Amino acid sequence: MDGVSFEIPAGSFTVLLGPSGCGKSTLMRTVNRLVTPRSGTVTVGGRDVASIEPTALRRATGYVIQAVGLFAHMSVAQNIAVVPELLHWDRERIARRTDELLELVELDPQRYRSRFPRELSGGEQQRVGVARAIAAEPQVLLMDEPFGAVDAIARRSLQDELLRIVRTLQTTVLFVTHDVEEALRLADRIAVMRDGKLLQYAAPDEMLRAPANTYIAQLFAVKADLRRYDSLRNALSVER
Amino acid sequence: MNLTRARAIALAGSALALPHCGRSNAIRIGSKNFSENITVAEIYAAVMEREGFKVERHMNLGSTQIAMAAIRRGDIQIYPEYTGTALIDVLHLEPLRNANAVYDTVKREFQKRFGLSLLNPSPGSDSQGLAVTRAVAQKFNVRTLSQCAAAAPRLRLAAVPEFVARADALPGLQRFYGGFKFKSVRTFDIGLQYEALAHGDADVATAFTTDARIAADDLYVLRDDRSFWPAYNIAPVIRLDLLKIHRLDIPGTLNRVTEGLTDIALRRLNVEVDINKRDPADVASEFVY
Amino acid sequence: MSYLFSHWRLIGVLTLQHLGLVFAALAIALALALPLGIFAARVPRVSAPLLGLLGALYAMPSLALLAVLVRYFGLGAAPVVAVLAIYAQFILVRNIAAALRAVPRAQLDAARGIGMSSRQQFWRVELPLASPVLIGGLRLATVALIAIATLGGYVGAGGLGNEIFFGLQRRYLEQTLAGSIPAALLAIAADTAFRALERVATRRTAG
Repeated sequence: MDGVSFEIPAGSFTVLLGPSGCGKSTLMRTVNRLVTPRSGTVTVGGRDVASIEPTALRRATGYVIQAVGLFAHMSVAQNIAVVPELLHWDRERIARRTDELLELVELDPQRYRSRFPRELSGGEQQRVGVARAIAAEPQVLLMDEPFGAVDAIARRSLQDELLRIVRTLQTTVLFVTHDVEEALRLADRIAVMRDGKLLQYAAPDEMLRAPANTYIAQLFAVKADLRRYDSLRNALSVER
Repeated sequence: MNLTRARAIALAGSALALPHCGRSNAIRIGSKNFSENITVAEIYAAVMEREGFKVERHMNLGSTQIAMAAIRRGDIQIYPEYTGTALIDVLHLEPLRNANAVYDTVKREFQKRFGLSLLNPSPGSDSQGLAVTRAVAQKFNVRTLSQCAAAAPRLRLAAVPEFVARADALPGLQRFYGGFKFKSVRTFDIGLQYEALAHGDADVATAFTTDARIAADDLYVLRDDRSFWPAYNIAPVIRLDLLKIHRLDIPGTLNRVTEGLTDIALRRLNVEVDINKRDPADVASEFVY
Repeated sequence: MSYLFSHWRLIGVLTLQHLGLVFAALAIALALALPLGIFAARVPRVSAPLLGLLGALYAMPSLALLAVLVRYFGLGAAPVVAVLAIYAQFILVRNIAAALRAVPRAQLDAARGIGMSSRQQFWRVELPLASPVLIGGLRLATVALIAIATLGGYVGAGGLGNEIFFGLQRRYLEQTLAGSIPAALLAIAADTAFRALERVATRRTAG
C-alpha cells in the first residue's frame, strides 16, 4: 500500500471498494492496529492510533468480519456482552444493554438471548455480530465484508438495518466491500482502491458523475441506472 | 491374611511418603521382583523382626539397577543379590568359573566402589543348568554335563529361547565341553520347557537350578562338573552404616539364616510361593521359626 | 477369584495408589505440556523437532528410565510420577498443539479485533474452543498412564502392577487378574468419563 491518504468525516459512512487483494482490508485493519503500517500514521478523532494501547483502541472500535466470528461456546447474550465485560460494566447495565441491542438488530431478546450461534441462520448470526460490535457504543465501526456470506435477500434487509442503526447512533463507519451495488447503497463516501493505491475518494454521486479514470467509470457504468432507482427507494425508506 | 494386610499398609505408607521425610529407624529391606528374591528378602525381614527390629519392606523392585540405585541412596539398606549377577550386571566384569573367586571379587569391589558390604553367600546357587527326569538319567546314564555332552545325539532338548543363542548358554557349552549336539532342539516360553519334559516331548530341559519345578516334578539337575556356569549364590548386600549403627550383630544373624539356603531349601521355598501360590512373607516366617 | 476375595483390602489399597500415581502425574504433565503445546502450535517450525524429542523419550525403555530416576528421586511414588509425566508429554503436547491449531481463525480474529489481550484471547476463546480435542488428548494420556502406572510396582510405589507382575512371574493367573481387572476397569471408567466430557465440550463449541 502506498500513498494512501484521506480523511473521513465523523459520523459518515465510508465504503472502501475494490477487488480482493487490493489492500482495502489491510487499510481498514490499520485503524484498530490489527495491522501496523510500515510508515505513515492513522489518526482517529485527532489522535494517532499508534499512541493508543491496542486493546483499549480495539475496545473503543467496533469490528465486524465476514466470517462473523461469534464465539461458539458463548450464548448470544454472552457474545454481545464480551466488550462491555472487558470494560468492566456492571452486570445489570450489561443485561439491559444486551436486550436493547437485540431489539435494535430486530431479534427478540426473549427468544434469542440464550441461544447459541450454531442455532442461528447466517443472517441472524451477522445481526448478533453487529450488535456485539456496537455494544460499547464505539465512535468508529469497522466492517470487513460483513454481508458477503449471507444470501441476497437477507443482505438487503441487513443493509437497510445497518443504515438505520448507524444513523441513529451517529457512528463513523468504515465498510469494506468488493460489491459495487452494496457500496452505492450504503456509502456517504466511497474510496476506490486498486493494487494498494487509492484511485478516488468521493461521494457516490460525484463518482458516477465524474469518475477519476476509465477503470472507475467502467466499474460504475452498469450500476448507474440501478443507483438512481435505489437512492429514491432509500430516501423513501429512511424518511418512513 | 494378617501379614498380607500388614504388607498392604506398609506399601500404602511408602507410596504416600516421600523417601526422605519422616523416615523411621526401621531397617529398610528390599528385594527384586521375583519369587525367590522376595522370599529370601522376607526371610531377612523375618529374622530381623524376630530380633525385635522394626522392618520397612520395599519388595518387588523392578530390576538389579533399581535395587542398586535404591541401596546406594539408602532407600533400602539390605537386599539379596546373586554373586554372578553382581559380577556381570553390576560390576560389568568377565565371568569367573570359581564360585569363591566370584564372591571375593564382588565383595571387594562392592566395598571399594559403592561402600557396600556383602555378607556370606548361600550354599545354594540359582545358576543355569540342565535338568532331566530320573528315568532319563538312568536310561542314558547321564548325571553330569560331561556325560550329557556325549549322550546329546540321542537326546531331545527343550530350551527357553535365549538358551540357543546366548554365548553363556548352548554355544558356550558346545565350545567348553565339546559335543552337545542334541538330536533336536525346540524352544519354549519360560516355564513351558518343563511341560515338554513332563509330557515326554523332550529328554533334557534348560533350568535354573533352584526352580520350583525341579522339586515339584522330581527332576535331576546335571552336575556342572567342569564349572562352566558361574555361581549365582545369594548374599545379602548391606549398607555399611547399618553395620555400624545397630547394637545387634546383624551380620551374624543373617549369616546364620543364609547357611540354611541350600539348593534344596531354595527349591522348597519356591515351590511354596510359585506352585502353592502362598504369600512369600508367610513362607518366609515358617522357614525362620 | 478366591485370590481377589481374600486380598480385597490389598487390591483396594493398590487401586487407590494406582489412581494417585496417575492423577499426580497427569497434573504435573499437564502443567508442562500446556506451555509446550502452545509453543508447538504457535511456532510450527519447532513443532516437529519437539515432538520428535518427546517421541524419543516416549520410546525409552521404562525400566532403564526408572533406574536412572531412582538415583535422583529414590524409591516410592516420585520416580514413577516422573516417568509417567515424561511419557505423557508426547501424547499431551501433540494433542494440545493439534487442538489449538484446529480453533477456527474467524473466532480468534474476532477476539483480537474486539480488544481482548492475548491472555484473554487464550483463556476466554482459544482454550474453550480447543477443549474437545484437548480433552480427547487428556483421555488418551490418562488411559495410557493407567497402563504404564503398573511400573509403580517396580520401585515400591505400589499400584496394581505389584499384583500383575508378581502374578505373571509365578504364573498365578488369579493374582495377575486381581491386578489387571481393576486396572482395566479404571481405564474403561476414565475413558468413559472423558468421552462424556468430550461430548459436552464438542456440543458446546460446535460452530
